[in-house]
Amino acid sequence: MFLLRLRAIFEKTGRARYISHLDLNRCMLRVFRRSKLPVWYTEGFNPHPYYSFALALSLGFESRCEIMDFNIINDNITYDEIKNKLNAVMPEGMRVVSVAEQIKKITAITKAEYSFSLVSEDAEKLHDSVQELVNCPEILIDKKTKKGIKTVDIKPDMEVVSCEISDGSVNMIMRLPAGTQTNYNPTLFIEALKKVSVIPFEAQKICRMGILCENNEKFF
Amino acid sequence: MLRDKIEKHLLEVQKPSRYIGGEVGSINKDKSEVDVRFAFCFPDTYDIGMSHLGMKILYSLINERKNYWCERCFAPGIDFEEIMRKNKIPLYALESLDPIKNFDFIGFTMQYELSYTNVLNMLDLAGIPIFAKDRTDKLEQIVVAGGPCVCNPEPIADFFDLFILGEGEEVNLELMDLYYEMKKQGAGRLDFLRRASQIEGIYVPQFYKFSYKADNTIEKLEVSDNAPKTVRKRVIRDFDKVYYPENFVVPFTEIVHDRVSVEVLRGCIRGCRFCQAGFIYRPFREKSPETICSETKCLCENTGYDEVSLASLSTSDHSEIDSMLTQLIDYTAGERVNLSLPSLRVDNFSESLLEKIKKVRKSGLTFAAEGGTQRLRDVINKNVSEEEIMNTCKVAFEGGYSSVKLYFMMGLPTETDEDIIGIAELAQRIIDLFYSIENRPKGRQVQISVSCATFVPKPFTPFQFEPQDTPEEIERKQKLLLDSVKTKKIRVSYHDSNVSLLEAVLAKGDRRLCNVIYTAWKKGCKFDSWSEYYKFDKWLEAFEECGINPSFYANRRFEYDEILPWDHLDYLVTKEFFIRENKTAHKSVTTPNCRLRCSGCGVNKAVGRECFC
Repeated sequence: MFLLRLRAIFEKTGRARYISHLDLNRCMLRVFRRSKLPVWYTEGFNPHPYYSFALALSLGFESRCEIMDFNIINDNITYDEIKNKLNAVMPEGMRVVSVAEQIKKITAITKAEYSFSLVSEDAEKLHDSVQELVNCPEILIDKKTKKGIKTVDIKPDMEVVSCEISDGSVNMIMRLPAGTQTNYNPTLFIEALKKVSVIPFEAQKICRMGILCENNEKFF
Repeated sequence: MLRDKIEKHLLEVQKPSRYIGGEVGSINKDKSEVDVRFAFCFPDTYDIGMSHLGMKILYSLINERKNYWCERCFAPGIDFEEIMRKNKIPLYALESLDPIKNFDFIGFTMQYELSYTNVLNMLDLAGIPIFAKDRTDKLEQIVVAGGPCVCNPEPIADFFDLFILGEGEEVNLELMDLYYEMKKQGAGRLDFLRRASQIEGIYVPQFYKFSYKADNTIEKLEVSDNAPKTVRKRVIRDFDKVYYPENFVVPFTEIVHDRVSVEVLRGCIRGCRFCQAGFIYRPFREKSPETICSETKCLCENTGYDEVSLASLSTSDHSEIDSMLTQLIDYTAGERVNLSLPSLRVDNFSESLLEKIKKVRKSGLTFAAEGGTQRLRDVINKNVSEEEIMNTCKVAFEGGYSSVKLYFMMGLPTETDEDIIGIAELAQRIIDLFYSIENRPKGRQVQISVSCATFVPKPFTPFQFEPQDTPEEIERKQKLLLDSVKTKKIRVSYHDSNVSLLEAVLAKGDRRLCNVIYTAWKKGCKFDSWSEYYKFDKWLEAFEECGINPSFYANRRFEYDEILPWDHLDYLVTKEFFIRENKTAHKSVTTPNCRLRCSGCGVNKAVGRECFC
């Protein structure tokens, strides 16, 4: 038996962003079953299709770049055919962008890029607050971990790609650590901003835009 | 836009995917091509309502029509309801996310009495007048209900424009067609209701007026607007060919019954005297093994579910069960699908059947013994002997099972303390049996779970005349049962007696209860079937304020010659039969099942079908 070790990149947008990570697992199982693709089943006591997600996505976030690894029993099937078969049975808001061989190891992932909008009454003022926070020597955050609440400084690992005003909101693109070592969620930054901002605001349209490796090289 | 308003708050609530739709299998249509919109409302949360098979069937049935659109709507959880009220989000349907207030039909399925207050709460959240009399005279916003509880719809009659009696597959489209025609003609609500009342199976309560005697029993019923004197339920003639959906909505979040379910038969041949489902779903009709198999295959492929469950009141009563299971297992085993078989009867649980079930999955064994002694089981016509229970348990233990769940009822007619003690003794004998078996599962303890519900007399059963034990008496019996159990190997659970009292009142009540339900809801009662939300004190206040004595409905024997609140509704099983069966019960005499001998319930005579014998 020859196994194709594949990696799908898929989007999760619109109503699909309310599918929790746990529910996504169940959802994908059914996607595979509906697709009738010859996916490889684990051979244990309770056989199930094998698939895994590289990074969990927070409930409510959109994404252009979710990564799922899975295996197909070779059936003379092209990557495009696999992509189309999956897309034919995906729920609204979920779409496979590409299917390809697994080249890089998941452990190579070090960062993720996020975009989001900060909506307030006064974008200029909010923008000033953002700049002020970004320029602080340290940004201390109370982060919930398995061992309890830990104070971390996200500043050294945080990289602001852009921060500009358009349509009356502050739009940011930001890179944060992701992968098997450290994971910072953009809500950490947003919470820190809420503490120092002079005006109230709301974060909207948080979207994971890209996955990066060391030296900002693209993961796929 | 309403959608933005919803999404703004969605992450503040538990399991937000319940409130936004977009599931695989959900049906979206172009509004400009739709003529009639139907909001199918389940008066409980998404997790429960999405498990309901009837909704899946009727949802697909209506949506087969290109110009009709059926959408789903559930009761929001307490957390989301608070947000909806605070932010003025009206109750909306999950497909279009449009407010249901603007729909043509707002249809509720009434599955249990304790969901009545949720109906009021949902109407209120939707911005629809709660009482039918307060709605406009235009042809719009028709509030309807179907399901088992509408066999006595009187306690909720004031809130609905009409009720659908019997099988929705038969009548829903007919009703919607009439609406569509009359809407085109520019007719009003009353015109529509008059015409609708002429359709078999449609009950328009405002055309029926009750008067009461000094002793509070019904004096007479007056019918107006040319509506029929009795309304007869609708029945599907060819059940094997009846519409069945090719797809289900597949939820993201886990629901109570998260699997494909295929209905194998409808109706029941058994005639247990307490069981409402056993009578109101008559006549007994089966699907052929071929139909069952192809429906299973189709649904598994379209939904991607890897589990299928067979739905019926008693699956092992299917005349071709062996052939059915052989064919099904052929398919499910090859496709790695789990097959589960609820509703198996103790008396025909054969070794070969158990072998078949074992092949697919090992789940728990549950038996409904219902009564602790043979005498009581004869009274309720649960034709199961202790020998059969023991044999089945023996087969199960030898097959590797070590835990058994037993269902009983408490407060049954003619019940004595001996019958209660009998429950504990029966469970003990099953434990003794376990240890007497040579090849029992080793290294495991036997565990018997005794689950004891309180008997609730229901309309359209031989026990419809019976009083319920008072809560005090039930509590005494519950304590007696606990005291009779001498080992930790037997675990006992039972229902709150005050909940069962309300169930009985709402099941057997008349139209005067509408005000009580309204008052209780006003006082904050909702989700009455959820123990954490049940407010018995508020219900008692509501009864008090409305001058209604709950005991009159729950704890009083209804006379044979009394006009019952549901006498004008015809579920095809005759009142004479129920009276005959009630008398037979009091003699502790059983009635054989329909396959063995026809007991003349009247249903097949009414629909012009042949009986088994």
